[in-house]
Amino acid sequence: MNEELSPEDLLARVARQDVAALGELYDRYAPRVYGLIVHVLPARDDAEETLQDVFMRLWNESPSLSQEGGSVAAWLVAIAREAVVDRLRASRKNAPSLGPHIYSTGPEKASETVARKSKTPPLPASNARHLERIGEALKPRPANGVKNPAIRPVSPAVLPRPKEITLIDDRLGLLHKAIKELPKQQRDALELAVFGGLSESEIAVETGEPLAKAQRSLRAAVTFIKHRRRAVCGTWAANI
Amino acid sequence: MGCQHLEELYELWLLGALSEQNATDLRAHLARGCPYCLTRVREAAETVYILGLAPKPTRPHPRVKAELLRQISRKTAPHR
Repeated sequence: MNEELSPEDLLARVARQDVAALGELYDRYAPRVYGLIVHVLPARDDAEETLQDVFMRLWNESPSLSQEGGSVAAWLVAIAREAVVDRLRASRKNAPSLGPHIYSTGPEKASETVARKSKTPPLPASNARHLERIGEALKPRPANGVKNPAIRPVSPAVLPRPKEITLIDDRLGLLHKAIKELPKQQRDALELAVFGGLSESEIAVETGEPLAKAQRSLRAAVTFIKHRRRAVCGTWAANI
Repeated sequence: MGCQHLEELYELWLLGALSEQNATDLRAHLARGCPYCLTRVREAAETVYILGLAPKPTRPHPRVKAELLRQISRKTAPHR
């Protein structure tokens, strides 16, 4: 396979049922997608099956995805996150913990913080309830005057463009370093939202913090990373 | 329409971290095609992409790819 082909060129080939092109996209992106999956689903069988599901979806949805012009890498990461959330929901009886704590540099994991502070039932059970609600909330619902009632967080319409993702990929190490600069409370909130799939109110319950404080932590963390991205990728001349 | 008040909600919506009411309202607003918000959400998806890639890349066993491609080849093979 030609090394010069962009992911989007490869996607166009996949849309024409080119199995080798899918294999090439797999070689390029499977390690990062699998890294995300296995972080949330440590059981190898579940993780491998989810990885295959993600690439099977890429195969099946490639014709429409190719027409939209969004980034293949961003789509794969968004779909992988959606897939692990679906898996957690399906296995709600034995939902896994948050896994290794990525964002914190300290010895305590977010799940340990939760265990220490929580006045509520353990994370896995409430996590599963929350994931069920997320799934429900994301179902397309018709509404008067709505042009596209099926718009969802993983819709191709809201995917970043390939050019932006290339810029980010070149600076990913720097951007991840910024995450480690966050105060611990903010990193924990981020971990619970990104890899635990928890909402602001559930983060508040799980950490035993008032809702306003949990919201402030999560929103401050997200805003910090957003500003860093703009500064590092040159899309915003912020002096931070 | 001034949508600046939605500025800090886009990433949270993509993450599924908003309350159900806020998520429903934002989704309905986007579905009406607000160009400002669609651009901002696309930008927010870049931040979510960064966050999702924080775990260390992990190489899956080669068998996983082989099985995947076998399944796909079976799907695409002409029926006899």
